Amino acid sequence: MPDFEFQRYVTIGQYLATGSPLHRLDPRTRLLSGACLLIAVTAARHLQGLGLALGIALAALLIARVPLNYALRGLLAPLPFILFLAVLQMLIGPQAADAPALVSLGPLQISMQDVLAGVTIIARFIALILLISLTSAIISTSEFVHGLEALLRPFTALGLPTQDLVLMAQVTLRFLPLLALEAERIAKAQASRGAEWGTGKTGILQRVRQTLPLLVPLFLNSLQRAEALALAMEARGYHSGKGRTSMTELHFRAGDAVALLIAAGMSALILLL
Amino acid sequence: MRFTYAAPDPNTPPALDGVTLRIEAGEYVAIVGANGSGKSTLARHLNALLIPTAGTVSIAGMDTRERTQRLAIRQTVGMVFQRPDDQIIAATIEEDVAFGPENMGLPPDEIRARVRQALETVGLWEVRLRPPHHLSAGQMQRAALAGVLAMQPRCIVFDEATAMLDPAGRRTVRLMMAQLHAEGVTVITITHFMDEATDAGRVIVMDRGRVALDGAPTEVFADEDTLHTLSLELPPIALLSRRLRQSFPALPPNLLTAPALTSALDALPHRVTPMPAPPPPEPPAVGPALIEVEALGHVYLKGTPLEHRALRNVTLSVPNHGAHGLLGATGSGKSTLLQHLNGLLRPQEGRVRIGDFDLNDPRLDLRAVRRTAGLAFQMPELQIFEQYVGDEIAFGPRLQGLEGQALRERVRWAMELVGLDFDAFKDRLTFALSGGERRKVALAAVLALQPPILLLDEPTAGLDPLSRRELLTHLQTFRSAGMTLVTSSHRMEDLARLAETLTVMEDGSGLLSGPAVEVFSHEGQLRTLGLGLPVAAEIASALRARGWPLSPGVLTAEALAAQLEELIPRA
Repeated sequence: MPDFEFQRYVTIGQYLATGSPLHRLDPRTRLLSGACLLIAVTAARHLQGLGLALGIALAALLIARVPLNYALRGLLAPLPFILFLAVLQMLIGPQAADAPALVSLGPLQISMQDVLAGVTIIARFIALILLISLTSAIISTSEFVHGLEALLRPFTALGLPTQDLVLMAQVTLRFLPLLALEAERIAKAQASRGAEWGTGKTGILQRVRQTLPLLVPLFLNSLQRAEALALAMEARGYHSGKGRTSMTELHFRAGDAVALLIAAGMSALILLL
Repeated sequence: MRFTYAAPDPNTPPALDGVTLRIEAGEYVAIVGANGSGKSTLARHLNALLIPTAGTVSIAGMDTRERTQRLAIRQTVGMVFQRPDDQIIAATIEEDVAFGPENMGLPPDEIRARVRQALETVGLWEVRLRPPHHLSAGQMQRAALAGVLAMQPRCIVFDEATAMLDPAGRRTVRLMMAQLHAEGVTVITITHFMDEATDAGRVIVMDRGRVALDGAPTEVFADEDTLHTLSLELPPIALLSRRLRQSFPALPPNLLTAPALTSALDALPHRVTPMPAPPPPEPPAVGPALIEVEALGHVYLKGTPLEHRALRNVTLSVPNHGAHGLLGATGSGKSTLLQHLNGLLRPQEGRVRIGDFDLNDPRLDLRAVRRTAGLAFQMPELQIFEQYVGDEIAFGPRLQGLEGQALRERVRWAMELVGLDFDAFKDRLTFALSGGERRKVALAAVLALQPPILLLDEPTAGLDPLSRRELLTHLQTFRSAGMTLVTSSHRMEDLARLAETLTVMEDGSGLLSGPAVEVFSHEGQLRTLGLGLPVAAEIASALRARGWPLSPGVLTAEALAAQLEELIPRA
């Protein structure tokens, strides 16, 4: 029974070390390409562009050797939400005056354009989720941190505390899976004491009522953890600012340039189609 | 030196009150004391994590008050903390170890060399690219030590660094402390394990913010009554020696290690001819099985790329009113097995039956199962969520539909079972309790459901000696009251007291299973698994190796004393 496995339906943020060609690129390339495509998908206006984006995402998932059924499972949790948005868009989206109505429900009229708008929303969200899952599957936390640090380094001159920002991101990523595990443990402890977790017959109201006893210990434990971590970091001489060095050195190769060009080209296509 | 935590109440007693200490370079010092005695506060002054309210701390001539010296002080004194997963910052072991040297501003080549050296010292070079949460607790603690070693400090403070480890992990960390000490590093260890304190050359006992005792282990552990008033106890071997001295006053005092005790016993005149074999003990009357597990298997995150197998083909049966123990390394599947015994997990493979409940029946009312078998998780105090003690314990019974006077009586009953006074504690704030008290509250919260079966995952981990002794006494009381207990533990002494039957888990399988006496007779196999024996069994085994005709099945001090009395003629 997967009732307590909170991690199961979260495919975003899960690194998969498959050793594919995509994994071997410079982290900066992977970050920039992912960012390009994500921006393109967010800004694309037409269904054709989004269709292309979906195709690219699926192809990239194949190249990255991420199991497709695993990536698609990540869509299950937000699906009701996406469908709801799509229906909302169809019902109350801006009405085109000259569009013939397909269906009329009293004052509400649904035209072909509305249906298209709804489908566009669905396609956009699916492409976004797949791309984010892909990016997180091919960039490990440490690569992400080093890549980000290298990309942000020019901004240090402008007075931006990049090292602190990057460390913040690093610690957050390190503790997210721990938080999920902790939530699982607390839910189990409460189920052992008669709460309705994991018995498969819970209404929405009950779920809300159960969440509070879950959140309190989760919050307190996180605070304790944060304190312990801060101590451990301080004890190892952490200080922000000058004088810190890094063990990792990044190398930008020809393959990276090619990959970056492809990603940029595709992003432009998605936008223009 | 004095230190007061910033508190809104000006009457808060200082965490440290007039401590004066001098630790020489190259010493090996153990600091012991009850929870809240100021051990950790003291340790945190040693590398300027805390600055004294009054008085001074000077480390290798540097005053911790001087801001400019702070980085130098932290390079001189490194620290390893209690909870392994709270002190690892980076996504891989290698990068975490590099964190300290990176802070020191060393060039990349130098960092890589130091990281390699530190990881090879602790034996983790092979797994350097793994994410920390895929390591065992023992490995993570070694990684934390590597992170400190890479800064090449002259002194390392271990703040209860072994509290969360299994016997194998604990032994490795202890060996490393000894090795570091031999290499000239100053080692300071804070611990609740008295046997670890005997490794050190000097033991400092803290009590309510003051240094109560300071001396060699033989001096500090000489006076048991004083130790009791300080909420401490003798190391297990010393306890055993004391018991044996009652029977054999010829034994010298202050025997703190197993070899010393064995040699002292061996020096006594004794017979080596075997005794006529005692009649084999009556096999305990086995009632009908209350818990039956058959060929159980479990895979976490099944069907995802992250799946991993936690249990394979485990078979187990516990009679009504029985006491079963689970032992095995961290990650061997003990917790997963326990979660099957109260219906938190359903069997994926194999069958589980708890009393009249068949866990394979999809229509089963899981809440009824969970009421029958109460489960107290590892560190259950972390799951407390109510503000007041009374409310926390009433949570379960209230969901059962109890209210008013009946609810009150139930809460009172549960609190008294674990030794908490109802009137004194019901309105106390849960977050202001001590660690031992919080553990009791969490246990009472499970007991308040009046389960006929009690499942306990590492019930004594992280408790100070006094709280641990109290908890064990309560658990033994439940036993005699007819409750069925299933306990997992890393401490052989606990299991020798609490369990009649044992299952040894290894990599998800039940490797050995049977009466405790029989399981502990497989000494060699237990040792290869990194597990130990209860001290009495260990001494018996050492004496057997020296030709003493002891019969098998010695687990407790009483049993050992009884056998020795047969072999050693009375003076």
